[in-house]
Amino acid sequence: MTTRDIVLVALFTAIIIVLGLIPPITLGFIPVPITAQSMGVMLAGCIIGAKRGAASYALLVLMVAIGLPVLAGGKGGLAILAGPTAGYIFGWIVGAFVTGLIAERIVGPATGEAKQFAGFFIASVVGGIGVVYGFGIPWLSYVTGTPFGAALAGNLAFIPGDLVKAAIATLAARAVLAGYPLLPRSA
Amino acid sequence: MLTSLHVEGDSLFHRLTTRVKLAILLIASILAFLTQSPVLLGLGLLVAGAFYFTLGLTVREGLRRLRPVLVTIALLAAVNLIVQPPLDVLVAVLRILALVLLAATVTATTTISAFMEEITRLLLPVERLGLVRAADVALALGLVLRFVPDIFNRYSEIREAHLARGLKPKWKTLVGPLIILTLKDADAIATAIDARGLRRGKRG
Repeated sequence: MTTRDIVLVALFTAIIIVLGLIPPITLGFIPVPITAQSMGVMLAGCIIGAKRGAASYALLVLMVAIGLPVLAGGKGGLAILAGPTAGYIFGWIVGAFVTGLIAERIVGPATGEAKQFAGFFIASVVGGIGVVYGFGIPWLSYVTGTPFGAALAGNLAFIPGDLVKAAIATLAARAVLAGYPLLPRSA
Repeated sequence: MLTSLHVEGDSLFHRLTTRVKLAILLIASILAFLTQSPVLLGLGLLVAGAFYFTLGLTVREGLRRLRPVLVTIALLAAVNLIVQPPLDVLVAVLRILALVLLAATVTATTTISAFMEEITRLLLPVERLGLVRAADVALALGLVLRFVPDIFNRYSEIREAHLARGLKPKWKTLVGPLIILTLKDADAIATAIDARGLRRGKRG
């Protein structure tokens, strides 16, 4: 990694922490308040790419592990990484990587605008929702003994909020691509 | 803004080295998943609780720190009671509570610098493989701590700019400008780091 890569990774981790300080909002049609922090997975992958995005989240998890209250609501410490939601936290790292991989393949400087929007949205949904839940739900089900189906059903309540986040991440990623492109090219 | 969860004190866990504490936590988590006995897990919970509540935190502050995790565990236990035998639910709850309390004990008795020292040592084998440089991890961590307050101020400014124009601050219009304004500083910061030779000539 170049010095610039390290700086981008660190700045993005700092942005994710600030997203955790923004008060959660409640959408009219779902009962659960949603925080901006898990949107960071989609933003990191779409904006700084797979490798640097995953590094940003690895750095965030490291900060959680050493006892800094960097997660939404001032959460942090090894207790979180031993708790029932630890799977989601580790899933963020892989989720950011997968989001980045997809975004890098679909979106380039010469890509048409509609394809850019579509690419970022697909990348956000697959990496930021699919992969994160793919780690989070089995772990939750394993450590608490909640049957997999029940855990999956419980997560459905978050899907509408997650799709809204994917849409906002798409808009933001597209704005950054137009204003200050950072996404690496691949294939 | 980002204060560590470390607590001053002289309990048994305060005196152990970071490596020993992490090893205890790792071994405890493996053992906890090997047993199904509520008696053993209950004993484990008592021991972990004894460590956590004698390290210098008041009971109130100790519980406040764990509230989000405890609420999640209680909620899941309530759901599980509907679909599973009560004994299985009890075993799962005792196991996760014991591990959460032990992990919180390690966090509260270890300073950030002690953790960083241990992480630097743990990263040495990875560094030999050429995957990551331990010094770079420390540098990145320092940068994050340095820039969180700045970025939060920038967020507040963008929010006020919305309000001044009579707009409701929304994620949709906040996040883009926040990211562009923040990442635009990256080149200047990277140049400053290289100019000071903080990475000793390594650029790749």
